[in-house]
This record gives sequence, C-alpha cells and structure tokens, in this order.
Amino acid sequence: MEILLLLIVPVLTGVLCWSIGPAAWKNRVNVLGSAVVLVIGLTVAGRVFAGGTITGWSEALYLDPLGAYILAVVVLVSFMAALYSVGYMKAELAHGVINEVKLGRYYLFYHLFVFTMLLVVVVNNLGVMWVAIEATTLASALLVGFYNQKTSLEAAWKYIILCTVGITFALFGTVLAYYSAVKSLGEVSNALNWTVLLANAGKLDPGLIKLSFLFILIGYGTKAGLAPMHTWLPDAHSQAPSPVSAVLSGVLLNCALYGIIRFHTITSAGIGPGFSARLLVIFGLISMGIAVPFIMLQRDFKRLLAYSSVEHMGIIAAGIGIGGAGLGAGAKLGIFGALLHLFNHAIAKSMMFFAAGSITQRYKSRNMGRIRGAVKTMPVTGAVFLIGSFAITGAPPFNIFISEFSIVSGSFQQGSFLVAVLFLVFISLIFAGITYHVSKMALGKRPERIVPGEENWLMVAATTLPVVLVLILGMYIPPWLAGIIEQVARVVIIRGGN
Amino acid sequence: MTADLGSGIPVAAIHVINLLTYILLGTVLAIVATKKLNRAVTWLTIQSLFLAAVGGVTAMTTGVADLYLAALLTAGIKGLAIPAVLFYVIRRIGVQKELELVVSTKTSLVITGALMVLAYSVIPSTLVSAAMGPNVLPVAVALMMSGLLLMVTRKKAITQVVGLMVMENGLYLAAMATTHGMPLIVELGIFLDLLVGALIMGILAFKINQTFDTINTDRLTNLKG
Repeated sequence: MEILLLLIVPVLTGVLCWSIGPAAWKNRVNVLGSAVVLVIGLTVAGRVFAGGTITGWSEALYLDPLGAYILAVVVLVSFMAALYSVGYMKAELAHGVINEVKLGRYYLFYHLFVFTMLLVVVVNNLGVMWVAIEATTLASALLVGFYNQKTSLEAAWKYIILCTVGITFALFGTVLAYYSAVKSLGEVSNALNWTVLLANAGKLDPGLIKLSFLFILIGYGTKAGLAPMHTWLPDAHSQAPSPVSAVLSGVLLNCALYGIIRFHTITSAGIGPGFSARLLVIFGLISMGIAVPFIMLQRDFKRLLAYSSVEHMGIIAAGIGIGGAGLGAGAKLGIFGALLHLFNHAIAKSMMFFAAGSITQRYKSRNMGRIRGAVKTMPVTGAVFLIGSFAITGAPPFNIFISEFSIVSGSFQQGSFLVAVLFLVFISLIFAGITYHVSKMALGKRPERIVPGEENWLMVAATTLPVVLVLILGMYIPPWLAGIIEQVARVVIIRGGN
Repeated sequence: MTADLGSGIPVAAIHVINLLTYILLGTVLAIVATKKLNRAVTWLTIQSLFLAAVGGVTAMTTGVADLYLAALLTAGIKGLAIPAVLFYVIRRIGVQKELELVVSTKTSLVITGALMVLAYSVIPSTLVSAAMGPNVLPVAVALMMSGLLLMVTRKKAITQVVGLMVMENGLYLAAMATTHGMPLIVELGIFLDLLVGALIMGILAFKINQTFDTINTDRLTNLKG
C-alpha cells in the first residue's frame, strides 16, 4: 500500500517540522520527508507505467497513467522546492524577516499542501477529488499570506475567496455529473467514481453532461488560472514566498487542469470530442492573449512570471483541446505536446521562481526597474535565470520549444489555421516581452549598493537542478518518456460516438 | 427514466419540504436586507438549520440512513460550528455593520427577488419533476445566485463568507433535490473543507483587520496589473 504511505509521509513530515526543536532539525526533517515522498512517488508512478493502473481500498484509491504522470511532477517539483526552501528560509531567518516559530508553521503548511495535491491524483471518486482540490486552496492560503504584509494578506484573501467561489461552480458541475450517472445507474455509491463514469459515459444524459462540463471548466478553470477567471493568480503567485510560488505555478495549476482533463475525457466519451475540446481551445487562446499586455507592461518581477503561468496554462488547455478534436495525426501531436508541456512548464517555471527568489532576496526589491546586472551579481543564479527565461519563452534548444512546436504543428495538420496563427502570434509577443525585461535585469552593470555573491549553496543547488532537465529534454526526448506520454495520452483520449 | 428518484416521497412530505424551502427563501431575503453582521450570521444559522430539516424530512421519507447523518452534520457544522467561528470573529474585531454599500439593501432585495424569479423560470421542467417536489431545485439555484450577489456587492470580509456559505447551502440543496445528496464520503469531505475554510477565512479576516484597521475588502487594492 505505497499510495497510503505516500499520503501519510507528508502529513507526518509537516507535523514533525512544526513540533520539533531548532531550525536546523526542522530543515533536516523537511528535506528527508520530501526525499522519501519523492522516492515513493516515483516508484509508484514507475510501477503504474510498467504494469498498469494500481487500485486499492476497494477501488477508492486509483492511480492510472494520467494520475501517475501528474504525481511524478508533483513529487519532483515539491522536492526541489523543499530543498530550495531550506536555503531561502535560512536567508529570511538571517535577515530577521521570520523567526523559528514561523519557520515551523511554514513547513507544516507546506507539507500539508503537498499532501492535498497528492490526494487529488490518487482518488477514484471525482467528488473526493473536488474535496482535495478545495483543500489545496485552504492549505496554501496561509502560505500565500505568510509574510503578513498588506499586499500578501490582500493576495491571500482574494485567493481563498475567488478560488473557493470558483470551485463551488465545479462542485455544482460534479453534482450534475453525479445526477446524470444516477439517472442511468441508480443510486449507487460509486457512481461518481472515474472508472464507473467513464465505463458508462455513453449512457449519460447528453444535456446534463454538457452543462456539467461548463460548470467544471469555469470552476476548475478558475483554480487553473484560465482567463478570464485568472485575476487572483498574479497576486497570489507573486506574494507567496518564492518556493511556494514555484509549487503554486509549477504543480498546483496542473492539479486543477487535471480535474478539467478528467471531465473532458468523460464528456468526450459521452457526447463526442467536439464540445469540450472546442471550449478548451477557446479558453486556452484567451488565456494566452490576456497574458500578452500584462507581460509587456509588467514592472513586478514575480508578477511577470505569474502572468507567464497564465499563458502556459492556456497553452496546455489549447493543446488538449487540439488533441481532442479528432483522431488524426494532428490530434496526436496536440495531446502529446500538451502533456509534455505540462511537465516542461512545471520544471522551467519552478526554476524561474527559484532564481527570482534568490535575485529579489539579494536586490531586496521585486521592481524590475531596480534589478540590473544579475549575472554579474550572482554568477550561477543569474546564468540559470537567463537560460530559464529563454526556456520559458519557448526558444530552441530548450524543452518548451519542443512541446509548443508540437502543439502548433498539430493545429496546422488539422487545418485550424486561425488557432495556429493566434497561438504563434501570442507566443512571439510574449517572447519579445519577457526577453526585453530579462535582458535588462540579467545583463548590464551591477549597481554599487548590491553586494555580489550567492546567498548559500543550497539555493544554488536547487536552482541549478532543473536546468539539467530543461537542457536535456530540449535536445532529446528519451524513448521511455515518450512511451509514458503515449500511455497518458491513451487515458485522455477515449472516444465515444456522436 | 427518473422514476426511481421522485416516486419515493409521499405527497405530505412534499408539502412539508415545500414549506421549508419557502422559509429558506425568506432567510435569504433577511440576510440580503440586513446591514448588521451579527444579524446576517444569525439568519445564516437559521437557514442552515432549516436546510438540515429538509435533509431530515428527506431522510425520513426515503429511509436512506446516510441522509440522517448528513442532516445532523449540516445542523452541527453549518448551523453551529461555522456560525460560532463567525460570531467569534465579529466579536473580536468589533465590527458591527456594513456601512458603505455598493448596492443599497433595497436594490439588493429587488435584485434578489429578480434572481428568484429567474431561478424558477430557467430550471427546465425535466429536472424539476425528478426532484422532491417542484420547489426545491429553483430555491437551490436562487440560493446560489443570491450568495454570489452578496459576495460581489458587500465589502466586509465577514459578509463575503456569509455569501459563500449561502452558496454552499444552495449547492447542498441542489444535490439533495437531484440525487438525494452526494455519496457520504464526499459529503463528509465537503463539510470538513467548509469548516477548515471558515476557520482560515476567520484567521485571515483577523490579520487583515490588524494590518489594515478595517475588514472592508475594498481597501485591498494594492495589487494591480
């Protein structure tokens, strides 16, 4: 029962970090706990990819390739962020921003947050999945408001209120899905199980299923940061401590998208792929488009990255939509690109937030106008930051280029030229915007007032770790990874008749 | 096709449920009409207790044991624990009234009335016939929409939480109207989320009050662009 262990370890780690002694021990427990979660998580995911879906507890726990894929991303990024947290919080302690009590609270909520994200992907019941997604908001709200400043409290309040209202719509969508299932299956308690819903997708009431998907898209779309429901996102992601920003942007958004993907698959299996796929493409493109002006005119470093997350969630949603719009090679490219992009973005964005955290800590400002010569000030972090910004904007030879290219060519192959052209225009504009800001921050002379040097080796290590992945995956996708994504794609695209 | 859902409930019970849902509508109007935070929470408490009563009646008539537990939890968590948290926050912060309203209470009442009419007219009759009487689903939708209205038109953090709970109550009623409630494990999870959510929102309201000297959320305007 490794899945159960996977759920228990983060809770234990959090409580231990909170309750035991000096900061050094809190840090050790934090890293150890995260490492254990990483190992168990990757082992379980590996078993799913090698031997197929795992179930447990009379099918209450359920991990198929899609769940295992997201699980792997969650444990990977949250491990790196836990590692980074140690260095980051050490600096915050040294600067007197926080004290040991607050450090304990930080780790407690951090690991509870990880627990809720893991819960999202391992449950079979889509109602319980909703409960877990709402729990991610609750666990992370106090992390967003961690610094207790005016801005961070404002962000936390908007975050918890808007996301909870949004997700209430998703609950209504879930109720409607349950209703449509109960209408054809009778009042069986497992009617909300993913396996049951999917197996009976053809019998579900088409009108109800459409209505249900609409509410799900609005609800989980709010949590995933799809425009125009994204307004809380730049606030929350910029105000949270940087390691938390990395987890929020890198994986929490994916957990919400995961909810949408599940319902997209059921809807497609029930009434054919056109309806939900088209909506995903539309919302995806709107998200990309809305991000453009906010990125170009941005002044705040972390808000820049947050808007870039809105863009990337749009890219993934659009890719899944393109992948849902048929059975041809174009659809395959779309879905392959979207799933690969999900991983690529998680890695690249968390790396960027790590770098941003170190840089803003050194410059004591998030105002991009005040940050100059980052490469000269912090040789390693600055270089990673420069590489990361090319990676995040989809420049070759980095990983995001591959996935974006795959989605665009999928769209062209299907003959949806408008979609492809808009997609290209948006990513080009964003490339220009981010490159402009980054070149000014990274290059140039170091201001006199800034002391050069890296903060500590832990932060450097955690920031450099993802670079390896970003570079390797940009030039070469190992066959086993392609095989994994192939498996995941088979879960996502199950087709029913029209 | 929906025979197994609607038929289990005798006519007398439907009358009782009808009456209870009208009371629910009344509590929504009372919440919208008041400017006093205490009174809004009191009406929310009453609403949650009547919601529990709807659950209780449904449990009696259908004989589904899970529904008894859900009704008890509704009374305990939505009717007792969450109001207690909200009352505590109000007392500690010492804020009594919504002062500057975006929309006056009179206008909000008219809008709420319009939302109720809308709710009755948009619910397709195919859905209504499956429910426990024709009234429940429109009332549920009216509750959800009025809760949302409260959240967008009121400024005090507490009233926004009250609006959220009204939305949740509507949703719970909708689930009961269509499927006699969600599976028990899901209901339990939702109750837990709600309780923890109310606590965390209370903590944040405290902190906002400490830092901003107000819980007017329209002062939260530092983050832009």
